Amino acid sequence: MYLKVDSLEKRYGAFDPSVSNLSFSLAQGELLGLLGPSGCGKTTTLRMISGMVAATSGRILVGGHDVTGLPTYRRNMGVMFQSYALFPHMTVAENVAFGLEMRKHSKHEIAKRVESALAMVRLNGVGDRKPRQLSGGQQQRVALARALVFEPDILLLDEPLSNLDAKLRDDMRNEIREIQQRLRMTTIFVTHDQTEAMAICDRIVVMNKGRLEQIGTPHEIYETPATPMVADFVGRINRLKGTWRSDGAIDINGSMTIRASRPGARGAPVLVMVRPHRIGLVASGSAIPSAEHENVLAGTIRQVTYIGDTLQYSVEAAGARILVEKATTSAGDPFQSGAEVLLHWSEQDTLTFAADGER
Amino acid sequence: MNTVSVNENPFGRKLVLACLLPILLVNIVAFMVPVLNLAAMSFRAASSTGSLEEGITVSTWLGLFGDGYYWSMVGRTVWFGILITIITLLLSYPLALFVSRREGSLKAFLVVVCISPLLISAVVRTYGWMVILGDQGVLPSLIRASGFTPPRLINNETGVIIGMVEILMPYMILSLLSGFGKLDATLEQAAGTLGARPFTVFRRVVLPLSLPGILLGCLLCFVLAVSSFITPKMLAGGRVSLLATEIYDQAIVTLNWPLAACLSVLILVVFGAALVLYGRLSKIVE
Repeated sequence: MYLKVDSLEKRYGAFDPSVSNLSFSLAQGELLGLLGPSGCGKTTTLRMISGMVAATSGRILVGGHDVTGLPTYRRNMGVMFQSYALFPHMTVAENVAFGLEMRKHSKHEIAKRVESALAMVRLNGVGDRKPRQLSGGQQQRVALARALVFEPDILLLDEPLSNLDAKLRDDMRNEIREIQQRLRMTTIFVTHDQTEAMAICDRIVVMNKGRLEQIGTPHEIYETPATPMVADFVGRINRLKGTWRSDGAIDINGSMTIRASRPGARGAPVLVMVRPHRIGLVASGSAIPSAEHENVLAGTIRQVTYIGDTLQYSVEAAGARILVEKATTSAGDPFQSGAEVLLHWSEQDTLTFAADGER
Repeated sequence: MNTVSVNENPFGRKLVLACLLPILLVNIVAFMVPVLNLAAMSFRAASSTGSLEEGITVSTWLGLFGDGYYWSMVGRTVWFGILITIITLLLSYPLALFVSRREGSLKAFLVVVCISPLLISAVVRTYGWMVILGDQGVLPSLIRASGFTPPRLINNETGVIIGMVEILMPYMILSLLSGFGKLDATLEQAAGTLGARPFTVFRRVVLPLSLPGILLGCLLCFVLAVSSFITPKMLAGGRVSLLATEIYDQAIVTLNWPLAACLSVLILVVFGAALVLYGRLSKIVE
């Protein structure tokens, strides 16, 4: 592993630690996402890795060398800041050249590399301008070029897309991924946006309240979340409270029975979670395809919300409200509010968590 | 400069003019007229009793230009102004930087502490320095007590510089703080991640970004240093003659108003030069 973060902890005074017992590692050329709600400690973690904040305890290793005690300027890590942090008194070229100057490269070498770095982010010809004369997206590219031009060991991106508008964000996201893969740059990407993280990261670390909740590929995080927090954070989800029965099924409110692929201890309370778009919807009385491993539930549609690409149904079933999402078609809504329907979803899509100790 | 857009409101232009009129009148009556009057008076001559003689003459100006004494005084005044400004800047800068990096109520408190000397009249503060620096004062006594011979700290140039620097520091700190707006801790961190050591961060990022504040503070302190006469008069004991003290003497003691007027015009020229320099430098900094 190229970068290793080992039992990292950060405390400010007597408060609960901002980050505690955090360990993960990155292979060379990997893009790792640090995902979590604001205040979860992801930015603090990034700052500890870059040396801007001293770790209270724990170690950070790059290529086998312990860098925990090194000052920022000796860590050789490129950082892209949320606010871009471009030097306002320098031109774009001077900004990009700064890291090379600090490394005492020759003037000729600096000019050459600045030019190719600006070309890499498709900003040829703006080298003489001041940062404030550029658009937000362009400033972003300058920041990226500046962080990459001196060939850092690791690239750290702190919420790099949050100051851009939605359309630009997607383009920039893909561009960052493309450049990262081309340079095989070991990268950590901090974000609170799960779509962003899923779209470009090789693996994701989900953090909550300073702790690591789960580490895994986007697929693992989404399909087999380790905790309800992760399940909740990476996409919309229905939650139902129930109890494990002796036959491995789950009893909810005494009126609903659900089967999951992994049964739990009898009598234990359980939290059941199902993603809205994994739930099928048919009219009451219709046949359900492959009913053998399906959970089936009768309900009444209470609300239909059309949001363009999807239809959201709020279904009342067994005393609970269950959200169902369907892709829209040009044919229009198949179900109206008040319609009697059957909900069905597979055992594999039924996520279960021990209900005690989780939120 | 921002221009106020008045096109959207039909009453706007008249309203703006009406609002500007009072301050315009005050400026004309209380500032422009006296300055012009002063300029006019420099072309009169004074009799030995102090009354103005009839007729317009350039004799005062000619006398001034022909006298090396006044030239050296102008030079000394400018040199003192620059020296005092530089020392004030060097002492104020670290303080202002420290204050600007605090946050919340601590910062507000520190700002108030820094400018609180302004609540006390410069005369009183200068008396304070006389008590501290005087031959039998606190500081020389302390130096004597520790077995050394104290240097002369009052009634000479040293005393004037010490007193002026302390008097001007609040103005410098305020100017610096207001000019630190572009300074952002993230920029310093960014420079660090790019490989800059702390001193390089200061030289390449902090200092250039605080230049607007430095220029403003220097202009303000220079002008105040050149024009102040109470502190130099009290701490110099009549041994250091500067433009401002000389004007005071000519106007109040010798009653040679035309000469005082000439010297005043001269001081205005010095200020004008300082302003032009400030304008040039600000443009470069931008």
